[in-house]
Parts: sequence; C-alpha cells; structure tokens
Amino acid sequence: MSTEHRTGDAPESGDRGLYASVVSWMENLSETQYAYLLLTPAFLLLGAIAFWPLLSTFRLSMFADSFGQASVGNFIGLGNYVAIITGERSALLPSPFLPEALTTRAFFNSALAVTVIFTVISVFFETIIGFVQALVLDQEFRGRRWVRVAIILPWAIPIVVQGMIFYLMFQPNIGFLVGTSDNPAFLNQLGLLSTTPLANAQDATMIAIVADVWKTTAFMALLILAGMQSIDRGLYDVAKVAGASAWQRFKYVTFPIILPTVMVAMLFRTIQAMRVYGLIETVSGCTTVPSLSCLVVTTFNNRMLGSSATIAFITAAIIAVAVSVYIVGYVRGGQ
Amino acid sequence: MSDGSTRSDGGVQSDRHEPELTRGPFQRWVQKSIKDPKRVYRAMFYVATLFFLVTTLFPFYFLLVLAVTPDTGSLAVLPQLSTLEFGVFLDVFDRINFLRYMLNSVVLALSTTAIVLFLASLAGYVFGRLEFPGRQPLMLLILAISYFPPAAFFVPLYQLFTGNVVNGLSLYNTPGAMILPFSSLFMPLSIFILTTFYGQIPDGLEDAARVEGTTRLGALFRVIVPLSAPGVATAGVLTFIAVYNEFFFSQLMNNGQPENWAPIVGGLLSLQRAGQFEVTYGVMAAGSIIAVIPVAILVVVAQEKIVSGLTSGALKE
Repeated sequence: MSTEHRTGDAPESGDRGLYASVVSWMENLSETQYAYLLLTPAFLLLGAIAFWPLLSTFRLSMFADSFGQASVGNFIGLGNYVAIITGERSALLPSPFLPEALTTRAFFNSALAVTVIFTVISVFFETIIGFVQALVLDQEFRGRRWVRVAIILPWAIPIVVQGMIFYLMFQPNIGFLVGTSDNPAFLNQLGLLSTTPLANAQDATMIAIVADVWKTTAFMALLILAGMQSIDRGLYDVAKVAGASAWQRFKYVTFPIILPTVMVAMLFRTIQAMRVYGLIETVSGCTTVPSLSCLVVTTFNNRMLGSSATIAFITAAIIAVAVSVYIVGYVRGGQ
Repeated sequence: MSDGSTRSDGGVQSDRHEPELTRGPFQRWVQKSIKDPKRVYRAMFYVATLFFLVTTLFPFYFLLVLAVTPDTGSLAVLPQLSTLEFGVFLDVFDRINFLRYMLNSVVLALSTTAIVLFLASLAGYVFGRLEFPGRQPLMLLILAISYFPPAAFFVPLYQLFTGNVVNGLSLYNTPGAMILPFSSLFMPLSIFILTTFYGQIPDGLEDAARVEGTTRLGALFRVIVPLSAPGVATAGVLTFIAVYNEFFFSQLMNNGQPENWAPIVGGLLSLQRAGQFEVTYGVMAAGSIIAVIPVAILVVVAQEKIVSGLTSGALKE
C-alpha cells in the first residue's frame, strides 16, 4: 500500500512523480468515485469467486447430465429441476431427493427430508439450551470468564474434530455408549440406538444432531446474551415496584425484548444447518446420511454435473424460503 | 412464588422463633427455600452451570482418555494413571506428516485473514464512512452471498481450479484453490464488523489528519484503522477461526496429501480411513486434540473479541 509519508516537498524523481500523480488523482475524485475505487478490489474477488460461480452453477443446472466424454449434455431448460422435484430423477441419484415411501426409513434416506429433520430438531434444541446458557452467563459470579470459555470452546473447534469426536464416541468397540448384542450399553437397552449406529441412517442423523447442538449452541447463547444485556435494567426495577414476580418479569420484560434477537440467531443457525456437510461426512459418511450438500458432492463425484448444480440451487432456494419465513415473522413481530 | 418474595423479611424472623425440629438437611433446605425463593434460583443456577460445564467439556475429556488408553486396555471413565501411555501424541507425527497438515492449516488461515482484513478494511471504510449512491444495494449484494451454501459455488470453482475454464490456470492442490474461496466467503462478516467499527470514529479525527496533509488512503490506514484496532482484531480472530475450522473447500480443493497443501481436515480424515485396516482410534483422538490446541488458546486469549464480534457482526444485518 502506498501510504508512505509525503512531507509536502515537491516530487523529484520520476518514481515519486508517478506516486504524486496517483495521489493527486485520488485526492481529486468525488466521494462516489472514491467509494467505488475502494470497493473495486473486494468486488473483483467476489465477482470471480462468488458471483461468477453462482451464475455458472445456475447455467449448468439447465443442462442435462452427460455420461459420455463431454462434461454436460444438451440444454434442457428447467428440466433438471422438474425431474428432481418430482422424484423422477431419484433412481439415478446416489440418494433420492424426496422420500420414496411414507416410512421412517425412506425419510432418513431422502436428502430433502433428512436435511429438514436435521435443521428443525437441531435449531429447536439449540434455541432452548442456548437460552438457558444465556441466562446462566447473564449472572455475575466468580469464574464466569472460565465458564464462558468452556461454553464457547465447542463452537471454536474444527468441524472435522467435532465429527471425529462423535465418530469415536459412537464407534461400536471403543465407546461405552454403544455395546454389542451380547452386552448392550445403556442406550441400546433403551432401544434408542442400534449396535452399529453410524451405519444406520436414523441413528447417525440423531448423532449428527447431538453433535451439532453440542457445537453450535454457544453461538445461540452469545447472541441471546447480547440481547439480554442490552435491556435497560430500569425496566426490571419498574416491574418489581409493580409487584411482578421473577417469572412475570421474565415473561413480560425479558422475553418480548429479546425475541427479535432470538429470531435473528435462529435464522443464522437455520441457514448454517441447511448446509450441513462436513459433520456428516466425518461422522457417518454421506451415503448413510445424505444431506442436500452431501448430495451435491456425491452427484458431482458420479459426474452428473447438471443434477449436482440443480440440487445446489434447490438447496439455495430452500434456504431463501426459510430466510423469508423468518423475515416475515420478524416484520410481523416488530409491529 | 410471588407472595414468597414479598414476605421474605417476615419469613426470616419467624424462622428464629420456630423450635428446631429434627429435620434432615434436605428438609431443612426445602423449608428455608420455601421462605426464600432466591435460594431456589441460586441452586438452579449452580445445577445448570455444572450441567453445561460437564456437557461441553465431557467430549474433550473422552478424547483425552481415549488417546492415552493403550489399544489393549479397555476404556474407563476414570483411568488409572499407571496404565496410560502418552507416547500416542508422538505417534500421530510418525504415522502421517501431521506437522505439515497443521502448518498448512495455519498458513492458509493466516493468509486468508490478511487478505480479508485488507479488502474488508477498504470496503468497511466505504460503507461505514462514505455516502454514495448504490450503498444499500451493494451491501445487500454482499449479504446475499452469505446465504448461499458452499455447495452452490463448488462445481464451477472446481472446474476453474482444475484448469477446465481457463487453460493453464490450475490452482487445484495449491493454497490458492482454498484461499480464494475462503476469502470471498468469509469476507462479508468482516465487512459488516468493520463497517460498524469504522463508522463510529468521529469525523473530526479524520478531518484533522486530512488538514495536516495526510492522503485519503493515509487517513484510512494511519487514523481509522489504528483507532479501530479492537474491531480489526475481532474480525481477524473470527476469520482465522472460521478458516481453520472450514471443511467443505478444505476437503474438496486438494487431494488430501500434506505436500499439496491439505489442511488438518485431510490429516484427520486420512487417519480415519487408515483406521479401517488397522485400528488406530487412540491416534485419531490424539490428532484431534493436537488440532484443537491452536484454537483453544485463541479462545482463552481472545474470548471478549469473539463474543463482541459474533454479536455485532450477526446482529448488524
């Protein structure tokens, strides 16, 4: 960056002349021109690595899969979308997009259903537990700093380590959570877990949900905590004087004020949960639990580029639907 | 509960007059709690805190126990110290080039952080301090990127980096194939954090520097950025953690070999796959613990920055 001192003396060498002319050119730009100049590097990067791939993926999704030499087949417009959404393509995909029957097993084998199950259950528990964690962190007590470190720590670890922890914990011969059929562990006896949970779609999804709740509840808790700490403490004094009990203070003061924050936090978590890939890939592999992002990668590995791009865009569209549901709720709640 | 709190003063007094009956400690506690509900909240608070400490830390403890328990021994919740083997932490480095994987992760994270901080500083300055037509739409455009799943960028980027779009441009198996996607996908958060921080610096400070003859860019990098050091540190810490923890492009943009810049994702997955032929769960656990150490240190040192960055960045919208 050319931010060296310019002490006011006239430019002497040609090098300095160039620098000075660049500086004076910059000084004479209008505010709008200057703004766009500074945004250029960021938008060049975003253009090449974000906007171009998005448009290109969209274009790719209009072409048929090719099983020959060429990377893609003929232009078929929205044909891929129709084939995937109606389930017509399911037989060719590594895992079906929609459930093929109305059984639990079929639901956990379908990319769309398993992603929705994963998202709804994990965001639900993260919100509840995150709320309680925020209430704990909102208190003044000795050692609060270290409790906060402990709560944030799972959030900060690599996804591959998170996956590894739960892969190892539910590995049949090592963890104490999974027994054998002769010597069933506690969870097996309750009937909650089979003896090979990581190879069973339903069990593996539940394990991934537990892993996700363990790691990302902290994010929820921190956002909710920020909302709680922004509440004017005077409101509580007023409520106390008016004779409100602790529960009533929570219900009529804390809750309505932090509700928008909770919604924003849920929105962020929903967006992230819908993209789940690495956790599943490490815990059980994408063939056992085919989330939408998993399906993008597995179809790509089967050289079905058109289908892969289409599923990626359908995923983005589903996320957009979820986002707009939250925004509508947010606007309604704000009135 | 409500009438309990209103007559709490009276409750304490009557307690003194009451003759001590023979009660168990629990009954006594219940008796006192009925008179003073605050004790119940206090107890609930301690139980909840303990519960969260155990649930968040137990998986790490499990990893540690698994790592130091020899392959022949069985896993115990409280293992006997004499039977433990700590050599497994060295094994990780013998089995695979784990040091190189770690180094790759750190280099990728640091270079992405540098690029993001520089570009996001320029953009954050523009959005935070300048008025110009198109400001709102451009910010929305940047926000929109963070709604797309990484999978939506993947196929074209893979083709680009394997040299199928521009001939001769092959970044697959090089740091560029990861740094470029990381930079563009994690930049929006930093832009929003820095927009907030840069926007808070009073105009007078910048004007004063300009009057003294500082160039426009000089004012940004010698006045605004240093004054917003906490914000820059926050954005940097969050970007570093995000890149270090990333999975999608880290796995898919290289062939998993350490000499091809595969980060720890590649290292741990190669240990996991090797485990199918030879049981090495202890080594996997040890590798996971080593991989967590850099971010664990960062969390302890920079927890305030993480908290403020997450909340300001996410709640900005």
